[in-house]
Amino acid sequence: MPFAGFNMPINYKTGIINEHKNVRNHSGIFDVSHMGQILIENNETYLHKLEKYIPLQLKKLIKNRSHYSFLLNKDGGVIDDLIISNIDIKDKSYLYIVYNASRKKEDEEIFISCAPNAEKIYNKNCLLAIQGPDSINVLKNIIDIPNNMNFFDILISKYDSNEIIVSRSGYTGEDGFELSIPNESAENLITDLLKNENTMLCGLGSRDSLRLEAGLSLYGHELNENITPIEAGLSWALDKERLEDKNLNGNKILSDQLKNKLSNKKIGLISTNKSMLRDGMTLFDNNDNEIGKITSGCFSPNLNKSIAIGYIKSEFNTDNPIFCEIRKKLELVKINNLPFVKKNYKKNGSVYE
Amino acid sequence: MGAYMSEKKYTKDHEWVSIENEIATIGISNHAQESLGDIVFIELPSVGNSVKAKDEICVVESVKAASDIYAPIDGEIIEVNKNLENDAAIINQDAENEGWIFKMKISDSNQYSELMSEDEYKQFLEQ
Repeated sequence: MPFAGFNMPINYKTGIINEHKNVRNHSGIFDVSHMGQILIENNETYLHKLEKYIPLQLKKLIKNRSHYSFLLNKDGGVIDDLIISNIDIKDKSYLYIVYNASRKKEDEEIFISCAPNAEKIYNKNCLLAIQGPDSINVLKNIIDIPNNMNFFDILISKYDSNEIIVSRSGYTGEDGFELSIPNESAENLITDLLKNENTMLCGLGSRDSLRLEAGLSLYGHELNENITPIEAGLSWALDKERLEDKNLNGNKILSDQLKNKLSNKKIGLISTNKSMLRDGMTLFDNNDNEIGKITSGCFSPNLNKSIAIGYIKSEFNTDNPIFCEIRKKLELVKINNLPFVKKNYKKNGSVYE
Repeated sequence: MGAYMSEKKYTKDHEWVSIENEIATIGISNHAQESLGDIVFIELPSVGNSVKAKDEICVVESVKAASDIYAPIDGEIIEVNKNLENDAAIINQDAENEGWIFKMKISDSNQYSELMSEDEYKQFLEQ
């Protein structure tokens, strides 16, 4: 299927549900090389310019840690969501940023305007993710992973005598790793990973159902230029000090939103019968008034029901019934706290939610 | 399977039809189930409804998308495969036998002869 200019598999041989369950129970490998990867020299001028768009204190980013953040437009709307890490490569300090394939043009315009020598590395480096509770055991047989590596830690390791960027992160709600690896070594690494009989290649279909169960946002669905991180329920990812900084795009709008009641709120929904909830469906109250829309929906293999994320009017009292219009019929849906399936991340040597 | 069971025929919407004593059995082709992926739900048609060829009469939901199922010929729905209500994945396992979806009493057998044979359908898929 065409996806952001790439031809990507929705699923491999055994199908979406099987791939999904394999990631929850064992591990699965995703080729996410379509995503943007860029290295920006860690110098004060560049960081200051980037801080106009990124709501973090970039000078204070801890080495070998990753952060979930955004590029913001003038109104505080989300140009893209991204993962930004502080890492040394060959004794030089960089910000390593991973961003959405569908937003490369917009993002890179900003990166290059802030740091003209920013180096896009996605043409020479593949990005592979191994996700699931077994990931650590599968991976540590192949490359060196320190025992104390936590979720959102990032470091340089070696494979095939090449340096590779390894982060403990992912987009499934499970423990896992993402590996930025030179193209010429990627196939060997996949072959090595697949020697574990409980791992398998997974496509975009299970990537979507896994992230939805984990309540994670997807650009173009929960996020776009007309939604701020606060409206998207992601204010935890904003550095609150930066909201007082006029150098940050939309800082006033964002700090006002934090203080006042929002007009919409993000919710999780679960089907009460076997109908499938899908992106774009409209939500109604029991008097047929439109109260919101679904932004992502899928079948949840873990719950064996359809689940969805959407936005509804904040004034709507969620104790009242909510109906979703499915093929011209109104069907009862239930609010479900996000995430649908609890997260299983690694911190201080143990698993935390 | 009686000896008087007709040849299985196919529509351009990827349904199969077989006829026995003026009763048509309809499902989706194996090709259709493969491209839909895991099927999780089917909204079965109502027994007793009279339908025309090309009418949308029920919906198959897979993890990827919802797909309409059309009546392949004119007739009256007389039976639906209730097993699919509990386990729509039967269609993935055996689309062209156990995964049948509904039966119709047909009114115009000429419409049936106009559908594609298995070979013609294979050619159609290769186009």
